[in-house]
Amino acid sequence: MIRWPRLLLWLLLAIPAALMITDLAGGALAMDLYHPSGEMAVRLMILALLPGPLVDAFGPNRFLRGWIAVRRNLGVAAFLYGLLHLFFYVLDMQMVSAMIGELAIPGIWTGWVALITMAAPAALSFDAALRRLGRRWKRWQRLVYPAFLVALVHWLLLDWAWLPAFIHLAPVMLAWALRFTMRRRKIQRSVA
Amino acid sequence: MKINRLVMAAAATFAFAAPAHADGDISCNGGPQDKWQKISKLKKQAWLEEWQILKTQVEGDCYEVYARTKEGQAIEAFFHPVTLEKLVVFRRGQEIYRAKGFKG
Repeated sequence: MIRWPRLLLWLLLAIPAALMITDLAGGALAMDLYHPSGEMAVRLMILALLPGPLVDAFGPNRFLRGWIAVRRNLGVAAFLYGLLHLFFYVLDMQMVSAMIGELAIPGIWTGWVALITMAAPAALSFDAALRRLGRRWKRWQRLVYPAFLVALVHWLLLDWAWLPAFIHLAPVMLAWALRFTMRRRKIQRSVA
Repeated sequence: MKINRLVMAAAATFAFAAPAHADGDISCNGGPQDKWQKISKLKKQAWLEEWQILKTQVEGDCYEVYARTKEGQAIEAFFHPVTLEKLVVFRRGQEIYRAKGFKG
């Protein structure tokens, strides 16, 4: 059953997509929608990657518990924005032969790899898969990490601008740094 | 492990990819803007190349053209705004053409 807060979350998540589609309908070029759709996918991945280490660092509070509760939705939404990104790519390229023709370019195949890597955890995000896979479920979900890194490399190889990639990597690295430093401090405290 | 292999593949790609410049880094030595030709004149240039123009814009001191070649390749070309000489062409982040002697 979908409860209304979740419905509200999905409505919120759909707004940027709706704006992009509106732009496209209004005559915007598909190539101009690469950045907004791709960046949305990356940012949603970050939002899905952050609460885990933060809970480890700060312990579960109400805010972080709520965040964890919607984490799966954020991950699936990230994948859907990846698909939208692919949709704009297909529109921009127009010909399958042209898409195949540039498959060997690193900036392009890294995009495919990132999307395919995300497909597995996204496809296994429903409750039945979680129950069926048990502990293995988490392992599948961890594919988001390589997907995230490859997506950043994809971005870097196309734009050759370091700053945006770094800015998007920073929060995840920070959360992991917190996870390790705070956890160590906690262990030391419990030993003392 | 599968994940490690993926990360390594990405790192390898990165190491061996032909380095290019970010769009904003290209400098065409265009001089003062009032001496520039009209950007619409690039249409003829594109026609000569058999490109289909998607978008033209000013990028730094260059004219920049986003286009599709007749084979369907998506490209990004930089032209000198006064001479309208084709200086450098990128395809998905890779440099595929550079005018002789152009170092911008």
